[in-house]
Amino acid sequence: MIGFNRVSLAYHSGQFALEDVTFTLKPGSFTFLTGHSGAGKSSLLRLIARLEKPSSGDIIVGDLRYSSLKARQEPKLRRQMGIVFQDNQLLYDRNVFDNVALPLIISGYRFKDVKTRAMAALERVGLGERYAENPIVLSGGEQQRVGIARAVVARPKLLLADEPTGNLDAGISEEIMKLLLQFNASGVSVLFATHDQDLLTNYRFPQLVLEGGRLASDPNASMANPARRATRGSANA
Amino acid sequence: MPNDPAIGSRWSYTKRGYAVTQSIRQLRERSLATLMTLIVLGTTLALPAVFWFGSSSLSTLIKSSVGEESITVYLDMSIPDLQGAELAQQWETQSGVRATLYVSRREALALFQQQNDLDDAITALGGNPLPGAVVVFPAIDTANDPLSVELVEALANRFATMAEVERVQIDLEWVRKLQSALTLFRIVVSMLAVFLTLTGFLVIGNTVRLELLRRHREMQVSTLLGASRSFLNRPILYTGTLYGLLGGSIAAVIATITYSFIKTPADQLAAQYASTFRLALPSGGQFLTIIAVATALGLLGALMTVLKPQQANITNR
Repeated sequence: MIGFNRVSLAYHSGQFALEDVTFTLKPGSFTFLTGHSGAGKSSLLRLIARLEKPSSGDIIVGDLRYSSLKARQEPKLRRQMGIVFQDNQLLYDRNVFDNVALPLIISGYRFKDVKTRAMAALERVGLGERYAENPIVLSGGEQQRVGIARAVVARPKLLLADEPTGNLDAGISEEIMKLLLQFNASGVSVLFATHDQDLLTNYRFPQLVLEGGRLASDPNASMANPARRATRGSANA
Repeated sequence: MPNDPAIGSRWSYTKRGYAVTQSIRQLRERSLATLMTLIVLGTTLALPAVFWFGSSSLSTLIKSSVGEESITVYLDMSIPDLQGAELAQQWETQSGVRATLYVSRREALALFQQQNDLDDAITALGGNPLPGAVVVFPAIDTANDPLSVELVEALANRFATMAEVERVQIDLEWVRKLQSALTLFRIVVSMLAVFLTLTGFLVIGNTVRLELLRRHREMQVSTLLGASRSFLNRPILYTGTLYGLLGGSIAAVIATITYSFIKTPADQLAAQYASTFRLALPSGGQFLTIIAVATALGLLGALMTVLKPQQANITNR
């Protein structure tokens, strides 16, 4: 589903954020993207979301080859993926429901579907009762759950999570992780950027490890690891 | 959740409805700043509107007056009424003449006495001092033909060279002078209107630019959620249009009120000069034109802002 072929991303200064990165992720997979701060995790996610363009190499997501992607196709591409941010990027000038409904409005859903889907997504993250509140009154973990509801409300095929547990304590991180696992179980591919060692240890999913902008692990070998189901089972136990 | 106040109207969840709702909400959230901006816009655009109303009224006066343009040809005192009437008939067939009217010496005297209350003076003169006159109506569209001044003057000169003619007078000379003054007035006012309209345009452009900066986060998030450029720009364009619409409405109201203040003294002045001219209040069409122009100005100001390259990149940061 996601393919990077010798992708590099250089700043104007000539320094590389990512250098010669090649990997493939299968549809429906759950993959950790890990590495120290500044290793290039966010840059890689921004490349997938087409918020940056690679300096060289090519990216394929689904049946779209980015090198031949036109600018006017980019919004449609982003509508096919959900993004969860460390700082949740909620809009505090509107209530929880309107935050979650925004991707559906952007995609042009009918009002009836907007209402049904937004409420269903909020129920799924356990915030069905709090739809009328402003997100600012919610706790950090609740806000992150609103962010997840917003990311999945349009039922994307791919979920990009950029350190969604970065600002949360261990218990809430665990809740967020379980939510993401639920979505993955329903067929959504998840690429989860984190450097939370507890999560990486508890959930032994394939890992893309970045070091100084280069891929340090062998993700394809890691992807082939059939231990996923067993790992999830043990983590949930 | 039937009629849940936390959930907006059905329309506000459509793409266009969302844009309109967001625009109105942004204006309402900063109601004082919005009101002040609208007052600035309204007063800026009101002045050209007042000038336009005044210019339209004077144009109407000139058109209606010049449309009745005539030349009075005073005949020599020795010409008897019968010959004068024959001359009038002959001149009617000449090129450039639409109609003629002979005013006999007796009719002229009666008119003079009727208008000037100078019975005693006329009696003292011991006879009729007035000549017979032929009023010539030119066959020229004096209201619309820009060359009419030259043509009327040429016609008057032609009569002036005739042996039977004592003197020729173009009756609406004052209107011509007013027309010249109005032309100058229009040029000055047009320039002023352009500057003031440009000011309005810049006020809207700057307000919309600030709006764009305030909405930066919303635009950034919407971009990440897959919003197209038109989805991002639509609320900004609607905000500009709303500013134009409301500012134009205020301008039209201010201009009408100002104009109604001017109307009374202007009408009194016209009455003192025995003129039937009265300043007409702005028509519904003029009122709507001001609002439409201001609305278009708002839309253009917003377009200018969203099409600027540095603004277009705002969502890519």
